[in-house]
Amino acid sequence: MSDEAFGDLIARLRSRKISRRRFMQDAAALGVSASLAGAVIQSMPAAAQSAKQVTFWTSHTEPDLTGLKMIVDAFNKANPDTVVKMVQVVGSETDTSKLMTAVRGGTGPDVYMLDRFTVAQRANEGVIQDLSSYLSKDSVDLKTRDISFAVEEATWDGKVYALPFDTDARAIYYNKTMLKDAGADPAELDSAKGPVTFDTLNGLATKVNKSAGNNFSQMGFVPWFDQGWHYTYGFAFGGNFFDEASCKVTPANDQVVAGHQYLYDYAKTLGAQKINAFIGNFMGSTPYPPQTHPFITKKLAMVLTGDWFIKNLKQYAPDIDYGITYIPIPKAGDKSVTWAGGWSLVIPQGAKEPDAAFKFMNFAAGPDGQKIYTVQTSHLPTVKALEADASLYDARHTFFVKDLLPTARNRPPLPVGALYWDSLTSAWQAIYLNQQEPKPALEGVVGKVQPQLQPSCPIKIGG
Amino acid sequence: MNSVTVTSPPGNAPTRHRMTRNEWRNLRNGLLFISPWIIGFLAFLVYPIYYTVRISFTKYTGFGPATWIGLDNYHRMINDPIFWKALWNTVYYTALAVPIGVVVAMGLALCMNQRLPEVPLYRAILFIPSIIPGFALSLIFLILMDPTQGIFNRIITSVGLPGINWFGDPAWVKATFVFMAQFGAGQVALIFLASLKAIPASLHEAAMMDGASAMNRFWNITVPLMTPVILYDLILGLSLGLQIFTQAYIITQGGPIDSSRFYVLYLYDNAFKYGQMGYASALSVVLFVITFVLAALIFWSSNRWVNYDTM
Repeated sequence: MSDEAFGDLIARLRSRKISRRRFMQDAAALGVSASLAGAVIQSMPAAAQSAKQVTFWTSHTEPDLTGLKMIVDAFNKANPDTVVKMVQVVGSETDTSKLMTAVRGGTGPDVYMLDRFTVAQRANEGVIQDLSSYLSKDSVDLKTRDISFAVEEATWDGKVYALPFDTDARAIYYNKTMLKDAGADPAELDSAKGPVTFDTLNGLATKVNKSAGNNFSQMGFVPWFDQGWHYTYGFAFGGNFFDEASCKVTPANDQVVAGHQYLYDYAKTLGAQKINAFIGNFMGSTPYPPQTHPFITKKLAMVLTGDWFIKNLKQYAPDIDYGITYIPIPKAGDKSVTWAGGWSLVIPQGAKEPDAAFKFMNFAAGPDGQKIYTVQTSHLPTVKALEADASLYDARHTFFVKDLLPTARNRPPLPVGALYWDSLTSAWQAIYLNQQEPKPALEGVVGKVQPQLQPSCPIKIGG
Repeated sequence: MNSVTVTSPPGNAPTRHRMTRNEWRNLRNGLLFISPWIIGFLAFLVYPIYYTVRISFTKYTGFGPATWIGLDNYHRMINDPIFWKALWNTVYYTALAVPIGVVVAMGLALCMNQRLPEVPLYRAILFIPSIIPGFALSLIFLILMDPTQGIFNRIITSVGLPGINWFGDPAWVKATFVFMAQFGAGQVALIFLASLKAIPASLHEAAMMDGASAMNRFWNITVPLMTPVILYDLILGLSLGLQIFTQAYIITQGGPIDSSRFYVLYLYDNAFKYGQMGYASALSVVLFVITFVLAALIFWSSNRWVNYDTM
């Protein structure tokens, strides 16, 4: 309400030109109209009162959030007829409760950022829209533009439901100073020499381990920490998690079990609880501030993590002298295997501005948006043409895009992706805590997941 | 045997009372005044319960058509190891957290009831932890109970005991949540305090004149006269305990190895992570039945231990 109008109202009351009741009515009316006008003006940038409004939800946190903001700003600047409003919402890779309840309530966003390995599941559930018509209208051919596994993950039942936004790869980061101080030679890990075996890595790690009382005060390596997931070791030992021909999940095949046996034995040798006390609450689900990561605080000499960690190190620990190398191999002569994930952009059911939403998505997930995101976050692009763009990568980042990404594996895009992930996680925890042997723990996963997968069989990945 | 037949005298048959216009108007106005509550009750309680029960007999993702599958969701529960694990975790937590909560709240209430000039300050100090929201308390405890940096482990290890991985060790995680729950005891302590204040001083004075010790008076006067509020707390605690969610959702997400996967967390996962709204609804129906049966058992047992004598 303007001061002028309100002042006039008070003057009229004081001169008894209006009654107290009339005064209250007029004051309320002024307040409501001012609030409404204020709310509308506040939510819309002045230059775009008539532009189409696109709401974009993401659960990303910093430092990736800044990269997304930059993309939104770039799009808004280049497209005055559309205004994208980015909103950070609660959620995670598998938890989309905010999206689901909002879509049911008719208040969902126009664009949502979804972990790509759950696209098949959300498409099967009916939460997100088939993008085929938008793709053909704009003549976008994802198979030509993006790397194939990312397109497979974005596809369900022969239809494209998502635009691949980014990808990543996993590798070993090692602190050269910590290794040298412990009497180990960091040159052994030089990626130019190829991957080392897990035994070699264990030998280097053991030299770094230091105890204080009953606890470790510093450690060389904790295999299951950060990105040392079930999938990581299953793939690293040559395993598969899904057999398309029989439509069966295969978490208990020999190679996956061998990968988990490595975790089990490592924990057994050093003491499962002692290691986990060292890692502490980092193993919980709550994201800790990146600056307290034990590699950044120089308590952990080697960590298995992803390309995005380059950015974190640059920001929070620029003084650490570190190298990056391949995930180790089971025995000499084997090939190192990493895996890639990544996110995607989808249009939920009930989106109010689907055409404008697709326009933004195609910008964000196309070369323009991915360029910004790759430089800002040190993730990897899914647009094939950008892999060759040397201006986007420094030397360490180039290792991921040139040496790791071309042979990276990916999680099977199944309509039970979230359940499979959670079930594997429980088994994996039981293994690294030495509560259960790998084989029975992983066999238990089949019993939980297969019955839920069966109604969707047969499944053609990417088909 | 003589039998006696009682008949109503003619002309005295009970007649239906006809409401006057004024009474009708009062009834209408009364209903209009409480209509927001009635509408809320029907829209937000009765309908969701009906809908949940109906959905529990279907296969439904929350989107698109629901497929009727009869009792399949209930059959599935019987063979679902996580269901049994989640139920066990929840019963374990409730069975410990609720009775311990009564003891802690009673202790706090007794402290708040001391005749000291500073007692308002003590009451505030004892009550403050219970107004911290669950999510904030969870984040605070993550830091306090860090295995290496947390103050609890620093105290434990300083006296030579081994550190505990409170949230990371399956053997400890549920006990840690029970411990955390006691920080909400201030709310119940206030109710207990009101009940303590209502106990006539004359009863304690008479017992003291008869030579009863403080402990005797506590067990024979204070506790019996407080049993109605203890019953209230047990019922409320049971309902809240069986629905534990926030702390586990924030801190452990059900881990490690499902050792903190509580019932409602599993229900939530099925509904919102796995897209199995039908199964989640069946889980909630079963939780309702379990809560109802346990509450009924407590009420049934209350005849034996709750004292409704006038204070």
